[in-house]
Amino acid sequence: MSYQIVVCGSIVPDPLQTLEPVSGPTGPSLKNEMMLPSVLDPWAWHALFEAAHLAKNVAGSKVYLVSVAPKAKLQQVMMTVGQKAPFELIVVDGPSSGFTDAAEIAPLLAEAIKGIPGLDMSKLLVFGGWESASRGAGSTMQIVGELLGITNQFQGVDKLTVGADGSFEILERIEGGKHQVSKCAGAPVVLGWATGSLPEPPNNPQIGMQNMRAIMPALQKAKPAKVATDAVKYASVALPKQQRQTKIVKDLPADEIAKEIVAWING
Amino acid sequence: METVLLLTHADAGKPALEALAAAIPLKRDGGTLVVGLFGADVQPFANEIAGCGATKFLAVTGAEFTQARYASDAAAAEALVKASQATIVVVPATSRMNRIVSGVAHRCGGRADTHVTGMANGNITRWYYRQRMESQQSRTQRPWFIAIDPGCHAPYSGAAGTAATTPVSVSLPTITTQVTGVKAPESSQQTIRPDAKLLFVAGAGWTKKQPDGQAHVPEAAELIMGFLNATKASLGSSKSLVDLSGEGQAVLPFMSHLNQVGQTGSTPRHPKGLSTCCHGEEPHAVGWRFIGERRAINLDANCGWARGKADVLYVADAFEVMRKVNQLLGAR
Amino acid sequence: MDVDIVCVGFGPATAGFLTTLSRQLPLPDGTLPQVICYERADDIGFGVSGVVTRARGIKASFPDLDPTQIPMCAPVAEEKVLYLLDPHGASRRSLTLRAADALLKPVAKHHAFELPYIPPYLQKHGGFVMSIGQFNSWVGAQLMGTGTVQIWPSTPVAQPLIEDSKVTGVRLVDQGENPGMDIRAALTVVGDGPVDPVGRQLDEKFGMPEGHHKHDYAVGMKFVVNLPEGCPLKPGTVLHTLGYPEPEIFGFLYVYPDNVASLGIFVPSWFDSPVRTAYRYLQHWMLHPYLWRYLNGGTLRSWGAKTLGESGKRGEPHLAGNGYARIGEGSGSTNVLTGSGVDEAWTTGTQLAHAVLELLKYKKPFTKENLEATYVKRRRESWVEQEGRVAERARDGFHAGMVTGMLGMALAGATNGKINLPVETRPAGGHTPSLGEYYRDRIPADEIEKIRKECAAKGVSAHNELMNRVGWPAIPFDSKLLVSHQDALLMGGKVQAPAGYADHVVFLYPNLCERCGTHICVEVCSGQAITPGEKGVPAFDREKCIHCGACMWNCATPHPEDSSRTVLEFGAAPGGLHSAEN
Repeated sequence: MSYQIVVCGSIVPDPLQTLEPVSGPTGPSLKNEMMLPSVLDPWAWHALFEAAHLAKNVAGSKVYLVSVAPKAKLQQVMMTVGQKAPFELIVVDGPSSGFTDAAEIAPLLAEAIKGIPGLDMSKLLVFGGWESASRGAGSTMQIVGELLGITNQFQGVDKLTVGADGSFEILERIEGGKHQVSKCAGAPVVLGWATGSLPEPPNNPQIGMQNMRAIMPALQKAKPAKVATDAVKYASVALPKQQRQTKIVKDLPADEIAKEIVAWING
Repeated sequence: METVLLLTHADAGKPALEALAAAIPLKRDGGTLVVGLFGADVQPFANEIAGCGATKFLAVTGAEFTQARYASDAAAAEALVKASQATIVVVPATSRMNRIVSGVAHRCGGRADTHVTGMANGNITRWYYRQRMESQQSRTQRPWFIAIDPGCHAPYSGAAGTAATTPVSVSLPTITTQVTGVKAPESSQQTIRPDAKLLFVAGAGWTKKQPDGQAHVPEAAELIMGFLNATKASLGSSKSLVDLSGEGQAVLPFMSHLNQVGQTGSTPRHPKGLSTCCHGEEPHAVGWRFIGERRAINLDANCGWARGKADVLYVADAFEVMRKVNQLLGAR
Repeated sequence: MDVDIVCVGFGPATAGFLTTLSRQLPLPDGTLPQVICYERADDIGFGVSGVVTRARGIKASFPDLDPTQIPMCAPVAEEKVLYLLDPHGASRRSLTLRAADALLKPVAKHHAFELPYIPPYLQKHGGFVMSIGQFNSWVGAQLMGTGTVQIWPSTPVAQPLIEDSKVTGVRLVDQGENPGMDIRAALTVVGDGPVDPVGRQLDEKFGMPEGHHKHDYAVGMKFVVNLPEGCPLKPGTVLHTLGYPEPEIFGFLYVYPDNVASLGIFVPSWFDSPVRTAYRYLQHWMLHPYLWRYLNGGTLRSWGAKTLGESGKRGEPHLAGNGYARIGEGSGSTNVLTGSGVDEAWTTGTQLAHAVLELLKYKKPFTKENLEATYVKRRRESWVEQEGRVAERARDGFHAGMVTGMLGMALAGATNGKINLPVETRPAGGHTPSLGEYYRDRIPADEIEKIRKECAAKGVSAHNELMNRVGWPAIPFDSKLLVSHQDALLMGGKVQAPAGYADHVVFLYPNLCERCGTHICVEVCSGQAITPGEKGVPAFDREKCIHCGACMWNCATPHPEDSSRTVLEFGAAPGGLHSAEN
């Protein structure tokens, strides 16, 4: 049994960048969005690592990365991502903004997946982040699954184990720091990954070189996608102001501080 | 005029009561409230909220709906939404509802908003870019699914009674997934506990050299564990402490990336937070957005906490203070 | 892996090289040589600096360059050079300077004296102020769009591969258990900047040309700032300062469009202080009354620091050898008289590209002889060389003090480099006095020792305490522009380090570090990544390193086997600053 593992993932601003919303005719966006350094969405990163790991262990499997993002930005990100794992890139030239509705992005992803030559639903594993670091909605993957007719869907996945009979054991994050364990007969499935359990693979320029041979043409081939921006009406988008009046307590003996803290905890 | 549906699995508990409280005001101007429940047995919860003013209690019941599983849950939810003819569907953002909400919205020709933290004047409030900007927004498309984050509304507390439920039938697809159990973290494992009253954050300072020139990691671990056992607090960490563990240094054995709070970690929600040996720098403090009262213990009177990020900063040695705190709490 | 051309570092020089080269690819015969560039930083444009430049070379490459197409770029509109007086009396000033200060005080405004005349060699009229980070991102995006060259960020090069005096490619840095890959190439282009971790290895192997050395450096530290609303500074404004916070420290403020400014200081190696911290001095500089009236209420957008090679033409290595060529700042292209480096670096890159295209056209190999006949020849005939020669000894005077230094610059500038002050230069770290010597008139020796011990026990550098002690006022932190050093790292520099790499700062002889009385590496560290460590051997935290390289040349302990090196090894590694605004 081999798999076609499709990872859905877009790009987000490098997590430590200073972000500021601005509003324009098509709704809110980030100030200087096209110049902000970007990275692959961290949740999608984990999904990609898991996909690469699985593909390595199951002979004949192949990883695809389907991304809806501005292709000019994607190119730069792929130089780094491309070194981590072998995959085939499929690009839809569209927005990576968190303010674009998930329901607008999902059909683009689903169409791109349906367009994979030789797509075999009985081998299809659709991976993605359980949320994005931009929209943070946790909505896109479900809709992609619905559009592909997949009802074995799992969210907040930290572990996927393939059994000898081809079945999957899947650990999903649930309340209280616990995991729900499910047994699923097999493909097709949709897995929205949380952090997974694998460390970041080291950069491998050899894999990168291989990937780049296909990534450059994929970027050139990417078609611009039309995305509606009228689904959500934004009344305001603002940075929160949370400056407190800090009381600084100096020169108080540890005993007294401890008493204060205990009273505060119990209060 | 909206038809508002509270849609939930019947064992959701408090988050469902909170979602109900959020749903009730939405039926203003002559709208109606409908409750849609699914699960093995929905009657106890229906009775608990019998007085909520719902015109109908729709129910999908059966053994298939015991398990939190996409295929059966989505089918149940779809049937309930369609039967209710709801224009607004309010759901509690439990892991079980989060798994299906946008898929069900798609099936019903609607749209979903998730992680909603508040509602006012026809707008919902939610956050973007990892809790870094807050939006007020609305939709005209119906049905509009709204998943209410737990801990953002006071739970509904109306009178209980006996609710008359209307069964709704569901056509299930072939089920090929079975939930086989729940894996709890080992009892020694400390994580973010969403239900805890207090977030305790340990910073990298715990593992650094102390004034005597030595690091005291075992004692740090003991103090932190003692405190957590006594208070059942949620354990968070700064990025630097978690990163240390990645580099193979001597660090606290019970810390992992799951504990990390901040811009590249989580943004937990607790009424109180106590930071220790952490400098309260901006990317970490961002993760404290939903922490109510904040206090910090740090040797540096000039750390980030001092500058508007905490309510109280104790300039003191956390080892010393926490020893005393644990004594007072009667920790072993 | 085999490629045709491998480049080390993507700065302005390599950007110029690849821009010129890619325009002629594929070659007329239809072949597409494989060209790869490895950049250690995690993205294109991270960790470089804001500049004012005449942009002669850049404009030659982009004759229709429209500054509005590049964020943070504006034509130079107004230039001022200011001599700043010390409003606190805390700086260390010679008697000559104190006399000058007394004379100027009555005519100074806001404790500053505006020089009535800017020497032509310092003028930048007709040029641009711009963020090289944004410029490089812009160029990089265009380059990658051509599909003819590849630029790999986050991929540091460990060393050149040398066989029989021929450079045959490069070896990438190991990551964890994965050994770095060998990339074999017919031509290795070394453009790894002022700290040149690969270039230095070539210098060790092939030596420097007679009489050439890299003695002079500076660390430039800057903020990119959202100026307060209503700030009267117009885009294109260029302010240069001298005299404060210490006489040897220069400052700059360049105004970009949209009320944004890039500003900072240069702390040069000839500033003889064992506590030459850039961060604390930068804060005092911003707080100078002349500048603070513009900056008060502004907010930090970005922060960073880098080393500047200040040896210029004197630091020029062998420009070409069998299989390799050197371009940019590390190749001695910076003009130390005009204070210009980016444009020169860019131009050397374009010169090499023309040479490479010529050699490819005639199918000639990349031998030392062929590269000298094409690349080095072009360089020698260009304005970069001619002006570099004028500047060659212009800064020597600074080794004898600030006033002598200014005099030397004026002399060299006025005589086109024909007359220079006869001052002997010394290696950068070689003349650092001990703390006791430096503070001998101001703090008793036993007190210095006490402060040092207390700071070491706390694991922090001593400069803050020592500066407080000699009268520098406390910094009034405001959480916006005046923030702690660590907040600058996180809020401004967004400093990160990918996992799995070994430390790239190594203390080669711990026993010598134990005996070192200054530990200037701890004091100068731009990211507080080097701290007092066990038994007096400093500790290094790669999570905080911003790769400025200042520790390498500031180290006051010479290598026991090679006096041109220090006992602190600084290598290439990924990570560091994650801001492309600088």
